[in-house]
Amino acid sequence: MIGRHSLELALPGASIGAAAGAMAGGLTLLAGQPTGMAALSALALSVPLGLFGGLYGVLLGHGVFRPGTFGPVGLFWMVAFPVSRLVQESLAGVGMADGVLPFLAYQAMVALGFAIGFVWLHERLMPHWLMRRAGANPEAKALLGQYIKHAQALQATRKGSRR
Amino acid sequence: MDTSNTPPAAQTAPPAEDERVWKAGRLEPMPIRKLPDAPPSVHILGPTVFLVALGVGMGESYMWPRLVLLFGPEIRWLFLIGVSLQAVVMLEMARYAMATGESIFSGAARVFKPLMWFFFIVAIAVYIWPGHLSAGAAAFEEISGIPWVVTAVAGLILVGVIFSLAKVIYNVLENVLSLLIGALVLGTAVVAAMVGTWNDVVTTITGMFSFGYLPPEAMTAAWFPVIVGACAFAGPSGMQQMWYTLHLRDSGAGMGAHMPKVRGLRHAGEQEEMPARGFMFDTDNPAEMAKWRGWRRWVTFDALLLFWGITMLVTISFTVIAQSAVRQNPGVRDVIAGDDQEVALTAMADAVSSAGSSVLGVVFLGFIALIGLNATLGLFDSFSRGQADMTYNFVPGAKKVRMSHLYAIFLWGVIIFGILILLLGPADGPSGILDTLAFLSTFAMGAYCVTLLLVNNRMLPKPIRPKWWTNMIIGFGAVFYLGMLFYSLFAYGVVVG
Repeated sequence: MIGRHSLELALPGASIGAAAGAMAGGLTLLAGQPTGMAALSALALSVPLGLFGGLYGVLLGHGVFRPGTFGPVGLFWMVAFPVSRLVQESLAGVGMADGVLPFLAYQAMVALGFAIGFVWLHERLMPHWLMRRAGANPEAKALLGQYIKHAQALQATRKGSRR
Repeated sequence: MDTSNTPPAAQTAPPAEDERVWKAGRLEPMPIRKLPDAPPSVHILGPTVFLVALGVGMGESYMWPRLVLLFGPEIRWLFLIGVSLQAVVMLEMARYAMATGESIFSGAARVFKPLMWFFFIVAIAVYIWPGHLSAGAAAFEEISGIPWVVTAVAGLILVGVIFSLAKVIYNVLENVLSLLIGALVLGTAVVAAMVGTWNDVVTTITGMFSFGYLPPEAMTAAWFPVIVGACAFAGPSGMQQMWYTLHLRDSGAGMGAHMPKVRGLRHAGEQEEMPARGFMFDTDNPAEMAKWRGWRRWVTFDALLLFWGITMLVTISFTVIAQSAVRQNPGVRDVIAGDDQEVALTAMADAVSSAGSSVLGVVFLGFIALIGLNATLGLFDSFSRGQADMTYNFVPGAKKVRMSHLYAIFLWGVIIFGILILLLGPADGPSGILDTLAFLSTFAMGAYCVTLLLVNNRMLPKPIRPKWWTNMIIGFGAVFYLGMLFYSLFAYGVVVG
C-alpha cells in the first residue's frame, strides 16, 4: 500500500510527465481537429506519463533507483514511454501507419531521449521539493538525506584544500 | 621554453607541500597542492550543461536537418565525425583545466603568449556580433509578431541584468540553462515521438555510417562552404570548447577547486583575489594519480552521455521532424535549398505545421527561439569570462581591478555593442552575420586543436599527458577543420558560404 508520504515523493516526477504530455495537446489543437479531440489527445498522454513519472519518484523513495543515475531510468522509460504513447494512440490517435511493433520500437528509441530530459529536470526539482516536505514527511527526509550526502561528497571535492 | 624535462615536482627543502612547484613555460610556476577526491563518475549535472547549451544550436536544429533534406541522410557521416571529434576535444580541454585549475588560454600563454592574444582577438572579432541572438529572435517574431530587433535588444539587456545581479554567476547560469535544456530535450522527444516513424530513425542513423559519401552537388562553390560551416557547427563551435575550461574551473572540477569563483557585479566586493596561476598535483604519488583517474572517468561520462548523447538526440529529433515535414509537402525541399535562413526556417516550420498541426510549427519555432536564448546566455557569459580571464592574467596592471569588474566590463561592452549593431548596423538580416561567424569559427577550431596538442604535451607532467592515439585524433581535428576551410577557399574561392 502506497501511503501519503510516498505519494508526496511522486509529485515532481508526475508534474514533469504530465507537462510533457500536455504538449501533445498543443500539437493536435489546431490540426483541424476539434478542441475536444485535442484535449483528449493531451489527456491520453499526460495521464500515463504523469503516472509513470510519479511512479519513478515513489521508487526513488523506496531505494529502487539511486538519485542522479541514468542507466536504470533509461530502461524504465524505454518501457513506460512506449506504453504511454500506445495508450494515447489507442484512445486518441490517427492509427499507427507502420504497425504496432515498429511503432513501439521507434517509441522506445525516442524514450531514451525523453529519459535524459526527465532525469535532468527531475534532479533539478526534486531536492527543492524534498526540502519543503522533509519536516512533515519521514520518507522525504530520508531521501533528502541521500541527496545531501551526494551533495556533500561533491562539496568536499570543491572545498578540497583551498589555498 | 620546453619544459618537458623539468622534474614534475622539484623537491626543495622540507616536506611542506607549499614549497614544491611545477614549472610550465616561462610563466609563474604552479605550486603543488592536493587533488580533491573525484565525485562519482555517474552523475547527471555538471559544467557540461554549458557545453550542451552552447553546442545544441543552429547546427543541430537547422543546418544539419537542412543538409539531410538536400543531400539525403547519408551526408550525416560528417556530423558523426564532427560531434565525436568534439567529444575528444572536450576531454582534452578538460585534461589541462582539471590538472591545473587554469583556463586553456593560460595554457596557451605558457606555450607562447602571442598564441593567447590570437584567441583574445579572434574572440572579439567573432563573438561581438549579435548574430546568434538574431536567429532565435527571428523565430520568435514568427510566433508572436514582435519585431525581432525588439526581442533581441530586450534579450540582451535581460542577460546583462541577470548576470550583474547574480551572487555567483556560475550557479545561476547552471540552474537556468539546466531547466531550459531539460525542457528542450523533453519537448523534442515528445514532438519526434508524435511525428516520426521507425523508418526515419533508421535512415537517419544508418546515414551516419555512410563514410565518404559526398554527392556531386555537394562539391560545388554553392554548397561546399555550407557543408564546411555545418561541420564546424556540429556540437560546440568556435571557441566554445575553450570557454568550457573556464566553467570547469568555476565548477571546482579537479584543481579548479583551489580557485575562487567569479561573482556578479552587485556582489563583486565579496570576490576573493584570483591567483595569477593555477596549481599542480603530485603526479608521482599513486594515491593522487588514482584520484586523477577518478576525475577522468567523471569527465568521460560527461563527454559521452551528456554531451555526445544529447547533441545526437536533438539532431536526430530535428532531422526526423524535417523528414516527416518533407514527406507531407515535397515542395518544401526547394524552399529549404534557398539561401535565406529565415525563409528556410519558416518553410520548415510551415511544413512541420502541415505534418502535424499549425501549433506544431509554432512549437518548432519556439524551440529555435529557446535554442537562441540558451546560446545567448551561454555565449555572453563565456565570452566575458574568457576575455576577463585573459585580461586579468596578462594585461599589466589589470590585477588592480577585480575579476568580477572585468567580467562586467566585457559583458556590458558586448551588450552595448550588440544593441548598437542591432539598431544601426548593417541591417541585412541575421543570416549574413551567422555565415561569417561559421567561417571564422572553423579557423579558431583548427587553431585550438594545435594549441591543445602543444599545451597538453608540453605543459603537463609526463604521467598525465595524453596518449598517442588521443594526439592522433586531435591532430586529425586540426587537419579536418583547417583542411576543409582552405580547400573551400582555394578550390572554390569562396570564403563565406
